[in-house]
Amino acid sequence: MCSRSVIKKINKLLLSKELSCKELTENYLNQISSSSLNAYITVCKDKALKSAEKVDEKIRSGEKLELLEGIPMTLKDNISTKAIETTCGSRILKGYKPIYNATVWNTLKSKNSVLLGKTNMDEFAMGSSCETSFIGGAKNPHNLNYVSGGSSGGVASAVAGNIAAYGLGSDTGGSVRQPSSFCGLVGLKPTYGSVSRYGLVAYASSFDQIGPIAKTVEDAAIVFDEIAKYDPLDSTSNPKANSLKTYESLTKSVKGLKIGIPKEYYDGIDEEVRKSLEKALEHYKSLGCEIKEFSIPEVKAALPVYYILACAEASSNLSRFDGIRYGYKTSHYTDVNEMISKTRSEGFGAEVKRRILLGNYVLSSGYYDAYYKKAQNLRGLISRAFDKAFNTFDILLTPTSPVTAFPANKKYSSPDEAYLCDICTVPVNIAGLPGVSIPCGFDSNDLPIGMQLIGKKFSEAKILNAAHQFELVTNFNYIKTPSMGVKI
Amino acid sequence: MKYELVVGLETHVELATKTKIFCSCANDFGASPNTHCCPICIGHPGTLPKINREVVNLAIKAGLATNCTINFRSKMDRKNYVYPDLAKAYQISQYDLPICKNGYIELSSGKKIRINRIHMEEDAGKLAYKPSEIYIDYNRGGVPLIEIVTEPDISSSEEAKEYVEKLQNILRYAGVSDCKMQEGSMRCDVNISVKPFGSNSLGTRTEIKNMNSVTFMTKAIDYEYERQIDVLEDGGKVVQQTLRYNESKSSTESMREKEDAHDYRYFGDPDLVEIILSSEDVEKIKKSLPEMPESRFKRYTETLGISEADADLLTKYKNVADFFEAASKEIKSPKIVSNFIIGEIFRSIETESEKENFDISITPVQLEELVKLVELNKINMNLAKKTLAKMLKTGKGVGEFISESDMQGISKEEVERLCKDAVKNNESAVKDYVSGKEKALKAILGSVMRQTKGRGNAQEIEKKLVELIKNT
Amino acid sequence: MITKKDIMEISSLSKLYLSENEINTAINDISSMVKFVSQVNSVDASFEPLESINEVTNSFRDDKIVNSFPREEVLENAQGGKEGFFCVEKAR
Repeated sequence: MCSRSVIKKINKLLLSKELSCKELTENYLNQISSSSLNAYITVCKDKALKSAEKVDEKIRSGEKLELLEGIPMTLKDNISTKAIETTCGSRILKGYKPIYNATVWNTLKSKNSVLLGKTNMDEFAMGSSCETSFIGGAKNPHNLNYVSGGSSGGVASAVAGNIAAYGLGSDTGGSVRQPSSFCGLVGLKPTYGSVSRYGLVAYASSFDQIGPIAKTVEDAAIVFDEIAKYDPLDSTSNPKANSLKTYESLTKSVKGLKIGIPKEYYDGIDEEVRKSLEKALEHYKSLGCEIKEFSIPEVKAALPVYYILACAEASSNLSRFDGIRYGYKTSHYTDVNEMISKTRSEGFGAEVKRRILLGNYVLSSGYYDAYYKKAQNLRGLISRAFDKAFNTFDILLTPTSPVTAFPANKKYSSPDEAYLCDICTVPVNIAGLPGVSIPCGFDSNDLPIGMQLIGKKFSEAKILNAAHQFELVTNFNYIKTPSMGVKI
Repeated sequence: MKYELVVGLETHVELATKTKIFCSCANDFGASPNTHCCPICIGHPGTLPKINREVVNLAIKAGLATNCTINFRSKMDRKNYVYPDLAKAYQISQYDLPICKNGYIELSSGKKIRINRIHMEEDAGKLAYKPSEIYIDYNRGGVPLIEIVTEPDISSSEEAKEYVEKLQNILRYAGVSDCKMQEGSMRCDVNISVKPFGSNSLGTRTEIKNMNSVTFMTKAIDYEYERQIDVLEDGGKVVQQTLRYNESKSSTESMREKEDAHDYRYFGDPDLVEIILSSEDVEKIKKSLPEMPESRFKRYTETLGISEADADLLTKYKNVADFFEAASKEIKSPKIVSNFIIGEIFRSIETESEKENFDISITPVQLEELVKLVELNKINMNLAKKTLAKMLKTGKGVGEFISESDMQGISKEEVERLCKDAVKNNESAVKDYVSGKEKALKAILGSVMRQTKGRGNAQEIEKKLVELIKNT
Repeated sequence: MITKKDIMEISSLSKLYLSENEINTAINDISSMVKFVSQVNSVDASFEPLESINEVTNSFRDDKIVNSFPREEVLENAQGGKEGFFCVEKAR
């Protein structure tokens, strides 16, 4: 069975000298410049070529090339890259160049990764379509009139459109998994504390995690294994991360695996999504898994709990943007207070402003108990419900999103209407669990459908293994590569 | 109507650590602007705090030294407000689970000023107001602080002064901070109100912020006390407000910043994790604490025979007390050591700061050597004092100035011989003494002392002379 | 549910300046969002609250100096630094 891993294919090409890293990188850069996906905010042409040349030198000297070396990849634009513009999809950080690297970037850089550029995202990761970005949304390569999803929409668009071999996104309420689902990719949100957040511009600190978006589970596993480790710079980093190796566990049998189907996740989902999930279950049955439905009513509170806590944390995390030390600053004002308010009002987009307002509302005296404190309590309730479920089941299987990609510029009657499509992904962030989205079908518009595998904390090896077995038994049928970008 | 003064103090103390509380920049005073900064303490996007272990240790030491209960479980919270000197637009502090609570400091009157809590937090940067601009230096941003909050137990400006000075001393002894108010490593906010004598309900309080001098603090308290009484006696109400003390006008005045009541929207900082301590952790830190000034004062006065006034002077600075104890190890009368320190040695020191450091040219062992000679009557006080002065000037030990033979002191036989000679050679003085002129004895004594070159003990020699004269 | 006064208060806390139009839109938007999250009020919460979502505790750093960043870098992204200070004009 030949591997479908893009990383392994590229590694083979480079080692066999069929293609130099420079040529490969130029290929990608050319495709990026002629691409209409609007996936990239910043392209790092010179730096990418320099990295590629370094890899070519290594190959020429006969040195062994590790899997990740020389792979052209991308980072979501909220991951800090020293001296490379990092905008978070926002006008308020246009022109801002960090003076330090995010830990994950230091890690991948030390493996001679070729950073093609920084990709598009919903502003400060707030959104599920990529359209709140100050440069507009990225397009879905499967149909350019549809959204790529969000908030890591640019990464998903670039990987699915073959203008990046893989990328790192961030996931706070579904922002790696949902765009992966919309674009037919594998997207992993790791266990909270397993990947360093140092250098990830914070949206909601107790939810944010960086995760890989790639074509196949193998690719995601290779990348995850590299970035999952304890970071002394991040107080919330868990030392257990050091013993997480997933790639070596991909080939295990899933016979006897106990899969739980949480009823509540299947309420109100698209019919086509439901059918696709049912078919997926048949595949798992054929692999010898034990499948059982169960109820976890606590997740019904997940969306409001998420929005209260995430917006509260965000309102505080975003207070630092005042034009004094970095970023956009308004040009006319009569006192410093006005300068700060005008800077923020002019620099932030509408969705960001709404969430900041809501966040301050739920934290303000008089409302703190009823909202923030209550939501914290419910967070515990939801976490414990999942813990209980994992006493019975090895993994849980759910849709990643109740819908497939929707048309660009969709109008909602209220901001919260848009929040409803986060319903399947958010509980995973609330409980800090690992969750991976993999493609499991297409709807009648040929748009990808994604399913989500959820495990208990630090069980990435188990869920990725289950995901990979699905890929194999379905012969990777659900990886459909839109004909654009670089052909490997 | 007579009014009682009610004061509570909130004291901010900068901790004596090498680095800031949440990043590894140096915790230093007086450096060139923005040279002790990194992405973390200037609040760059994506950065994360990590708490300095030593900050927690020192906070626990401060709590133990002030009789607090240490909370085995505590956490850090965000205090959200916007001000240009606050890089993240929130201060990481502690709200509902501070590291220490329920302590006290006992005043000399026996009254206990209760400490409600001690918590850890970070300091903000420094602003400088120019005519049309504001300059910001973030060197101080992230410097570790503890805030010590008392109950409103203080009833006079004298008590406030005593509390602050005692707190300073305790924290210096514990190695928590140098507590230098003039350098800003310790500052007080005064919460002050008045109430009719015997009333149970507290009046409206005002807050006088950022007092960095004990003298001005007492003046401010006295002024504000009178001012509040005047307001009430005129039939008005005291308005809750934040004040500063204007030193040149000797009065309190409202701080010009907007008086918006701040809604700090406290919540647990999600970037930091809980601090869980065990009783072993706390015991270990307790053992590392040096003996506190209170305890030393008691020991000096009750077992070492030192007067209260002298014990006060000795325990005022830890370095002085340590020196005193080191020099008294094998001494029977530590009072002699004490006298030398408070007398000759203190007199040789010019500034209070030098006294605090007590970085003098002789070692405790050298002083002890000298005192031993006095105790054994090998040399007399006069000579000892003169020798000490020479030792302080040169840093050299007793041996340099008093020879071996001199140090042997003077034998009984030699005293007998010298006295007999003196009596024989001073007939007229002897006659005067016998006929009642006490002073005449002193003259004979003086001549003997000169001959002993200061080795003899004056009282003993005088006794011998009287004995000899009687028997003549 | 949400009044103009509420919006004025939270926009002040948020340090966001809203125009008249924006205030009106915000009243609707925030009202809807608050209604949405108010669902938590109907859920029973009579149980032991979870102490912390993260099992990690006692994450400490040693008190060792690591060189600070050079001042030029510290001031790099700021507009109008002067004499080594960050500088904000009081009005412009």
